[in-house]
Amino acid sequence: MADGAAVQSKNCIKDRDTMVCMISRDILPVLPNRIREIIVELPGDTLNQIEEIRLRQGKPLIVGLTREDALVTPLGQVTTVPEFGYMVTDQDMKRTVQLISGSSIYAFEEELKNGFITIRGGHRVGIAGKVVVDRAKVKTVKYITGLNIRVAREVTGAADRVLPYLIDPVSGEFCHTLIISPPRCGKTTLLRDIIRQVSTGIPKLEFGGCPVGVVDERSEIAGCYHGIPQKDVGIRTDVLDGCPKAEGMMMLIRAMGPRIIAADEIGRQEDAAALEEALNAGIKVLTTAHGAGREEISQRPVLRYIMEQGIFEKLIILGRSRGVGTIEDIIDCRADKSLL
Amino acid sequence: MIKILGACVTLGACATIGFTWAGVYEKRPRQLIYLGQGLQLLETEILYGATPLPEAMEQVAANCSPEIAGLFSCTAAELRKMEGVTAGEAWDRALAKFSVKTALAQKDLQILRRFGVSLGASDREDQAKHLKVALSQIKLAAAEAEAAAKKNATVYKYLGILGGLLLVLILY
Repeated sequence: MADGAAVQSKNCIKDRDTMVCMISRDILPVLPNRIREIIVELPGDTLNQIEEIRLRQGKPLIVGLTREDALVTPLGQVTTVPEFGYMVTDQDMKRTVQLISGSSIYAFEEELKNGFITIRGGHRVGIAGKVVVDRAKVKTVKYITGLNIRVAREVTGAADRVLPYLIDPVSGEFCHTLIISPPRCGKTTLLRDIIRQVSTGIPKLEFGGCPVGVVDERSEIAGCYHGIPQKDVGIRTDVLDGCPKAEGMMMLIRAMGPRIIAADEIGRQEDAAALEEALNAGIKVLTTAHGAGREEISQRPVLRYIMEQGIFEKLIILGRSRGVGTIEDIIDCRADKSLL
Repeated sequence: MIKILGACVTLGACATIGFTWAGVYEKRPRQLIYLGQGLQLLETEILYGATPLPEAMEQVAANCSPEIAGLFSCTAAELRKMEGVTAGEAWDRALAKFSVKTALAQKDLQILRRFGVSLGASDREDQAKHLKVALSQIKLAAAEAEAAAKKNATVYKYLGILGGLLLVLILY
């Protein structure tokens, strides 16, 4: 792996190539040597755009880029002809699974049930294959034949534009906020950056920073590896990794004394109850929901109930009309008007 | 005077050779028992702690006899290198280094080699099965080695001393 090491040392120095650096630091070690060599050979601009690497047994190796995906040849060139692509072998799959789990598949039974494993650096690897069911519940995934390595991006400053709207000018407190966004529009990235900034403090807005409790059910926000956040989530942030949201919120309220509780993707009945509990304890809530807009989420019973309760003060609506993470609208719920 | 001294040296040397040979025979059952203990520690780490393998191996290495700790610590080191090796391969590499300086017989190493194939590659239940199989085989081998040691070790010890005496008598 002399090549890989060279790429790593060369690129880690330059800041603009952090993407390449991240791939060689976090992603390459979980790939079998043969695939490592192929990925390293990819042209620089392709490497920079990689959002996911897909391995499917007996099918060509595919990298997902910002706009489209690309098939990769055994020499590391991009192609569109399936026959020219590098065919992922049975051995490649087995080896990758072992490397992803640190050769400890037995330690990831819970993760397998959820369909993904989080690796060092907070990147998630999705899993497909033969599912073993026990009493109508997923027990484990055997014969893993599909893997999707999703490169987690961290965009510091993603929340700069919205934060002025989220802090109450009178009391100086953070507002109850809901981020509404369709999938893959930068919802979690924005959430993470808001958490980081309110936790560390925002001098520009004279916001001093306050304790934040994060319930990270899917290990997406903080990207914990062995319980340690791999993403910067601020200096006053406590993370419950892999914890069910409703229970996690209660756990945090009991003893961690957060001023703000953050969780990703609410939508279940018990989530609503936990949110109300947090409100009663005087804790600010920051969370997200899947949906294209205010109307769409009102069609879902639990979310409609939450909206009717008037819990949230501010709504942020994301889209990709001007690229990933476009802030389409910020709504002040109390005054019922757009702030943009 | 010199004759007596020479006789003592000869006797001592022969006895030492005998005891060394006996020692080799006694080492094998001891190391097998240590190995069994090591695998039991590994079982605890895997089944009850669900500890990731590199850490589990280090734990075992820290807690088992130094005579066999090398096998576990070496596996952990190979895995920590992140060079794309699987647990089975790391175990094999460690085993290759370990086999040079151990008193274990080829058939004992074979048990360990077979065990390595499944190491870390499956869920808890499956790991438990493989560990159980390896453990019972190690136990059997230990019992067999123990019996062989009892027989052979005594023979070699006596052989050393008596051989020495014989040599002294002849040369005196």
